[in-house]
Order: sequence, then C-alpha cells, then structure tokens
Amino acid sequence: MTPSESAQLKNRIRKLRFEHGEMTQQELADRVGAARQTIIALEAGKYAPSLLLAFRLARVFGVTAEDVFQWDGD
Amino acid sequence: MKDSVPLAPLQRLAWFNLIVFAIPVTLYAITVPLLAWYFHKSLAVAAMPSLGMFGICGLWGLGNHFLYDRKRRTRVNLDEREALIYQRANTIGMALFWGVFVLSCMGVWAYLSYVRHQATLPVGFLPLLVFAGMIVWQVTQSIAILVQYKRSASDDTL
Repeated sequence: MTPSESAQLKNRIRKLRFEHGEMTQQELADRVGAARQTIIALEAGKYAPSLLLAFRLARVFGVTAEDVFQWDGD
Repeated sequence: MKDSVPLAPLQRLAWFNLIVFAIPVTLYAITVPLLAWYFHKSLAVAAMPSLGMFGICGLWGLGNHFLYDRKRRTRVNLDEREALIYQRANTIGMALFWGVFVLSCMGVWAYLSYVRHQATLPVGFLPLLVFAGMIVWQVTQSIAILVQYKRSASDDTL
C-alpha cells in the first residue's frame, strides 16, 4: 500500500477503545496479539493492518471490520 | 496522562548493536594516535593493528538475548508489523552490504591492478572486506529498525 493509500485508510480504534470500558492500548494489544506500538501506529494511521489483524480488532469490539476501518479511496 | 512506551525487543536489539559498534569506533579513534605516539610510528602505520578493536563487534552475537523471552523460554513473538520492520531492515542491510562488498572488492582489485600493477590480492584483504561489509549490514539494519519505529510512533501514548 502506498503512503497516499494508507492516508485514505481511517479507523475508529481509539473511539471504540474508549467506548469499551476505556480499554488501554496495552489491553487491546494483548487481546489481539500485537505490540502496543502497533496499536499506536494503527491509531495514528501510520500502519495498515493485515486482514487477520483487522478481523481480530473487529471481534474484540464486537463489530464488523468495516465499522473499525474505513477507506476513502477510488 | 502520557506514559512512556517501553522499547520493543527489536528496538533494544538495534540500540545494543549500535552501542556495541560505537565502542570499538571510539577505542579505535583513541588507539591509533596512542599507538603512533607510543611506538613512534605514523598514524597510517598505527591504523592497521588498531583495527583489532573491532573484534569487540563479536559481542553482536549476544544480541539474540533481546529476541528471547526468558519467562516463556522461547523466541519473542514479533507481531506482523514488527516482522515487516525486521524484514525491511534486513533487506536494506543486505543490499548495502552487497554493494559495499562488491565495490570494495572491485575497487581494491582495480587499484592493485592498474596502479600498483599487482596481479594478486593480498590474502589479508578478503576477511577485512567481508568484516567491513558485515559492519555495514549490522549498522544499517539497526538504523533502519529505529527509523521505522520512529516513523510510526505517535505522540499520544494513552
């Protein structure tokens, strides 16, 4: 994914974290099997996750992957 | 409230590698003039034996300690992003190593052939060239790891 395409990928991870009992980044990282720095990079829009990680994140929040990630591209 | 994010295992490994490299560089910078002064030789003559300081780079072998989880007695799990960072850093390191190594080999050979009119390469040159290439690889890999982590860092650590 090019940097411009990455910039078009948005997510609501931070908002969903706060809506789910103010979950910390570390707690989320532990639940999806990632490093805290990866969660930080995801929330900052500086990393596009794999499908597997995207689905894991969605499952933690009990929503679909499209509820977590949105892409404004063509 | 902000808190500090602990260094990832790869970051610790990268910093360890860079510190291990910095020690012989510093010692080399000290040893060359020291030997030159002590043995009343020129700096160029003192430079070769001082290269022995780079033997300290053998400590890089201990870097694997940072990728080992002692509690679980197994290799640390790198998540997908960290594995990607590691892979990219290795690719960059390997590319630079190969470039430096090949250019060094050809450059030394060209110099000896066309300037000194020597048909052969001294045996002692080859391990030096390989070792120089390995240093380039390790240092480049470590810097690439740290730069990639820095690029994806955020100020927000909630």
